[in-house]
Amino acid sequence: MAQYFADMYQAVSSALIGMSITIKHIWKKPVTLQYPDERQVMSPRFRGFVHNDTKKCDGCGICAKACPVDCIYIETEGKAKDRYMTRYAIDYNKCIWCSLCTENCHADSITMSHDYDHSVYFRDTLVYEFMDPNEAKVPCHRITRTELGWWVEPKAEKKPVEKPAPESGPSDDKGEDH
Amino acid sequence: MEILTDLIRSWFGPDKMSDQAVFITVASTMATIMFIVMALCALIFTWAERKVAGFIQSRYGPMRTGRWHGWAQAVADMLKILGKEDIIPAEANRFFFSFAPILVLLGSLLAWAAIPWSPGFVSADLDLGLFYIFAVSSLVIVGLLMAGWSSNNKWALYGAARGAAQMISYEIPLALACIPVVMYTGSLNTTDIVIAQQGGMLNWFVFRNPFLFVAFIMYFIASIAETNRGPFDMPETESELVAGYHTEYTGMRFAFFFLSEYANLFLVSLIAAMVFLGGWWAPIPGLDFAPALTFIIKGVLMVLLNMWVRWTLPRVRVDQLMHLCWKVMIPISLICVVGAGIWMMLSGQAGA
Repeated sequence: MAQYFADMYQAVSSALIGMSITIKHIWKKPVTLQYPDERQVMSPRFRGFVHNDTKKCDGCGICAKACPVDCIYIETEGKAKDRYMTRYAIDYNKCIWCSLCTENCHADSITMSHDYDHSVYFRDTLVYEFMDPNEAKVPCHRITRTELGWWVEPKAEKKPVEKPAPESGPSDDKGEDH
Repeated sequence: MEILTDLIRSWFGPDKMSDQAVFITVASTMATIMFIVMALCALIFTWAERKVAGFIQSRYGPMRTGRWHGWAQAVADMLKILGKEDIIPAEANRFFFSFAPILVLLGSLLAWAAIPWSPGFVSADLDLGLFYIFAVSSLVIVGLLMAGWSSNNKWALYGAARGAAQMISYEIPLALACIPVVMYTGSLNTTDIVIAQQGGMLNWFVFRNPFLFVAFIMYFIASIAETNRGPFDMPETESELVAGYHTEYTGMRFAFFFLSEYANLFLVSLIAAMVFLGGWWAPIPGLDFAPALTFIIKGVLMVLLNMWVRWTLPRVRVDQLMHLCWKVMIPISLICVVGAGIWMMLSGQAGA
């Protein structure tokens, strides 16, 4: 009989504890992000889609050589000071997001962006062209390029607001410049 | 009712209509109003339930349909469900399969007749009102069993059998919990029960004496089980029986079950408000300027309490469910009946 009342007490009290926990959550702000409108803030070293800033790129081709899956296509014409880059493309079907291209880039033009949601209907669409095909045959020399200033503007990327890195605590920001 | 009768008589001119014609017109008008209220409450509560569930779990619930917090989600769902194909399984019993949803809906709708919305506004002012409500809501069990059996589906049959066992069992504490109130009022008439609670919050039956408070809790638990909602949603356990008795139903027939579930939810909440929480009387005497609104607000608060319980507690086992009903709730309800009677006798509060 004592067990009967003890069970009853436990049932009522535990139900009340559970209900007091759930009622607290009603007043809290939900943790959900409304995805297309709000996005999660990615960590600084997040490896999203590779992006090449053709304003900085001098077409040296080291990234293509470093790439273990050969997904970077660079086509150039001419030699020495008359060298032109005609095509810079990345095939994201092949890309394995290893970040070796960004680590080897001496111009800091190729970076891992924070974009991750480029779904497509056809595989061909995943080959990203970074040069304007109409404006092909552009000199690859850095100085000339800056003077001319007609390189294809990279697609404006919605940068999420990044939280300032905590000043104390374990530092995890080495290699942040990639 | 009298107001509506007079209105119809004045519209059509006195002595133009026979008493029967007036009665039929009034009755069908009231039935239509009740059906619209029922459909509307099902619409609003499906949305409210998903929002409450969301916020309890630290998420939003529907947000996209309509501008503000996905308010049009329920409307969109209703339109979608109306456009669905009506499928009857080849092996099902066609007559009973089609008839069951109507019976379930009828059981819910009939009980609405005896709900007193405000002084004088009750579809059927029956002397046995409370008894009538409990009697006709048993029709739901018949429809439920019929649906499960005629679907010719294992899950549907299990769900229906569980549902019937559960609802028949829990009707006992449900009715027993109301008996102390009937003892106080000396009447089963729903309007009389509400009128007996006039004069502020302390005259509501919940706060009259401790036994009535316990009876109210018993009523609340039994009403959750009676509407087949969590933590007692044994007939529909989606993790075990796909959807229980309405596994095979589609389109409009499924909508009938859904409508009936939410209508029943609002109905038991309104009965709780009517029997224990003072019906249309405001908590402070003198604030009774909107009786129907007060009554509906009380009902909606009870519905929200129901949702809160549903999204907090995990589902119980079948044997636990039966143990709770037969070994805990029925004895306590009986003690409440006896205790309330003794309290009445000792305090000299005996009713009419």
